[in-house]
Amino acid sequence: MVIEQYTITATPKYNFPQNAIDTVLPQRLIELSIYSLKHVQNQAVQLKQQTIQQAVLSQETLVAQHPTPPVQPIPLNPKTEPTTIAAVDTSSIKLGETGRGIIIAVRGTTVWKRGRNYAYLRVGPLIFHITEENLQEIYKTLLKAYFPEQNPQGAPGFLQIPLRMANLLERWLQASLAKTMSNGIILFDGSLTAGTPDTPTQQLKEVLASARSMGNAVLAFTKVTTLRFNGCLLTEAFPAYRPPCLVEVANIKPKPPLTLLGEVYVAKLARGNYAFRLDVDRELPAQKRVEAVEKLLGNDLIVHGYPETLRLAHILCTFTANEVIAMQHFIQQRYRLKIIDRPDMHRLLFGPFGKGESHYETL
Amino acid sequence: MRLYKKEGNIIEILSFPNENVEKGDYLLIEDAEAQKALIAQVIDVQFANIPGILEELLRSLPDGGGTIQGEDVDPLEIAPHITYIQDSRLLICKIRATVEGDFLSPSTSWLPSRSQSSIRKLPIATLIRLAKVNGNLPITLGVTKENSLLTIDASSLDGRLNIITGKKETGKSHLSKLLITSLLQYKAVVVVLDLNGEYTGLGFTSDGKRNAYYNKIHVLTPAQNFKVAIKQLHLNVILNILIHALHLPGTSAREFRRIWQHLKDKGCLTLHELGEAIRNWNCNQNVRDALFSRYYALVNSGFFTDNVAEATLLEECLFKAREEGGAVIINLRNTSPIDRQIVVEYLLGKLVELLTSWRLKAVFLFAEEAHLYLRETYWDDIVTRMRHFGIFTTFITNQPDTIRENIYRQADNIFLFNFTNEHDLEVVSRAARVDAETVKSIARDLPPHHCLVLGKVVKDFPIVVKVRALDVKTMGETRLFFTGAHSENTSQASPVEPYSAGENS
Repeated sequence: MVIEQYTITATPKYNFPQNAIDTVLPQRLIELSIYSLKHVQNQAVQLKQQTIQQAVLSQETLVAQHPTPPVQPIPLNPKTEPTTIAAVDTSSIKLGETGRGIIIAVRGTTVWKRGRNYAYLRVGPLIFHITEENLQEIYKTLLKAYFPEQNPQGAPGFLQIPLRMANLLERWLQASLAKTMSNGIILFDGSLTAGTPDTPTQQLKEVLASARSMGNAVLAFTKVTTLRFNGCLLTEAFPAYRPPCLVEVANIKPKPPLTLLGEVYVAKLARGNYAFRLDVDRELPAQKRVEAVEKLLGNDLIVHGYPETLRLAHILCTFTANEVIAMQHFIQQRYRLKIIDRPDMHRLLFGPFGKGESHYETL
Repeated sequence: MRLYKKEGNIIEILSFPNENVEKGDYLLIEDAEAQKALIAQVIDVQFANIPGILEELLRSLPDGGGTIQGEDVDPLEIAPHITYIQDSRLLICKIRATVEGDFLSPSTSWLPSRSQSSIRKLPIATLIRLAKVNGNLPITLGVTKENSLLTIDASSLDGRLNIITGKKETGKSHLSKLLITSLLQYKAVVVVLDLNGEYTGLGFTSDGKRNAYYNKIHVLTPAQNFKVAIKQLHLNVILNILIHALHLPGTSAREFRRIWQHLKDKGCLTLHELGEAIRNWNCNQNVRDALFSRYYALVNSGFFTDNVAEATLLEECLFKAREEGGAVIINLRNTSPIDRQIVVEYLLGKLVELLTSWRLKAVFLFAEEAHLYLRETYWDDIVTRMRHFGIFTTFITNQPDTIRENIYRQADNIFLFNFTNEHDLEVVSRAARVDAETVKSIARDLPPHHCLVLGKVVKDFPIVVKVRALDVKTMGETRLFFTGAHSENTSQASPVEPYSAGENS
């Protein structure tokens, strides 16, 4: 494949002890980004009329099957022994439409805290021009390049592609972190539920195994959960328990092909009735799981019951309006895309009652 | 640059970081289809209101105020584009004119296309050429920030009311000296009311040698080489002095008129006879006392004399200036406030007399800090009546609020140096020939020796100019305590042995 010769610098290694695993920037991702954009030159582009941030949804897809009532809350004592806390998050956004497809951008961030200092590594934004023709090729090539053991399933549709590309980047960042960091706490955004199109079981298992082998514990925070207990949302079911504590939610039976790779808890880490679903790597012994949360409490800021490292990862990867304009400027300047202003049919037909493009038909 | 918004005669233009545009610059907004262009002047440069900029800035400060350390892997090099968008600016511009072909018109009633019009910087030199600021009698004021010369036409000062203002030490006197010497080149008659003796060195170069203007500069110092013979005085002039400068009440003024008439009829109008007449005049004692106190004020000023031969210099100088051009500098440096008013009353009366009788054609009057010697009623006279006689005044002041509002309203040209005080800018912005926003925005940022020229001299296109240097002797500097010699002595003084044996011997 002929690639336009950009000055592409290799990703600096994480500031963690290195091992033999290659953790350079997903070169293939960059190549595909440039390759896809190369085919978009001199086309007309309709900017998205209502730009909607498509952060990776942290809403888990698990359907609960009568979870067993918890017995007792597990009180937590913050452990201050120095432990590195790291978190990963990614974001994607649709920048516009061309006559043949859509232009999307993805970006991922790893944030870590050691001692009192936070640091980050941000990858992207990577911009892709996705068309009917290259959709399969791009997705499958990337999947194969980074998770060769995984069987490529059907490529996602246009609507899902921004999210799925971001997922791919997120998995790669998580895998890199798991392989390079040692004796730390790795925070994921979302749950440890596998078996979904964007989180194949094998992929997540490998990441968790790598993390364990390096002495790391993986904790996944879900901001919004659909799991209910006695008709109440799981995260709102235990108002009387005093934080910081964990409430174990055992015996959740996920519908196949979904698999739970984590032990599910309700985490109340700070005052103020803020509770989150917390999945901790199931393969870790129970005591280690609790200990990992205690280390998190002792080493990271917990604001509104949520770890600051994970919050920063989210903030740093989210696209601001300014960045969206800059990326549109980039594709316009570099690839001479002609911006066109196609009328928004919703606005045109329904005026102020139009809901905008977010409600348009599924492709 | 892209046209963004227009409201009234304010136009907002989006500019990008690689486009170097500053306050005071002129832009040409060309609409090819309409075959017209707008000339707009940048009066303010702001950051463009970019959506998401607050989030962007907040994001970089999440760690208790300190910047979070990190590294961006940006293979597509988007970051420069983000910076480019973040640093984009909004130029607030005032529409000044419309160009159609080679013609300028003040019309701003049309609107160029937002999508199609092109915007570029209009070099000041081109603007000057378009506006025909240059004339047959060029006066080079200095250089614009594009390093092109700003040359105005001397005739645009002719018959005009001008104001030179700015805070201390910004170069007001320097500019007025430049204008005076330039006017002299065109044989103009200039009278300068020099409060601090600053203009007395105009005939010399900075190293003390005679310069080209030496023979045209006539320095008159009241009570020294500038005296008035009582015999030559008009009753109206002396009454003006008594009433306005010395505040003589009306009843006493009537008695004085009789005394004056009496002495004139007798042909013995001298200082001595005037005193005697007041002493022996049959009038109320209070009136006599009032007249006596004014009489002694006149005598003590040293400005009046009975010797006609001593009192011919002013007219001589003015007539000499009439032929070849010249400047009469009235040095008021060591003159008391009352005497200053007496001198100025006399001078203005004399000028009006000479101009009315067409013995003089016109006079350019430069008045520094005029509020210190000009009586209230003269302000109106100067802007309304006196210009019809041919007195064209330039006021020079660092206290703009000492000049009346109606003077600003009628000023034809304003040479504005730096002001930072809001109140001062507010006062100047009342001038009719310029909008308040331009004055407030541009004058605040003017560096020393840079002047915003407003009015007819620049055909109502405000232009910032760095006033050129002038090789004349600087006079009237601020007297300093810590002069070189003094500080040298103090630094070398030994605290232990203040006197040496040699010095004592």
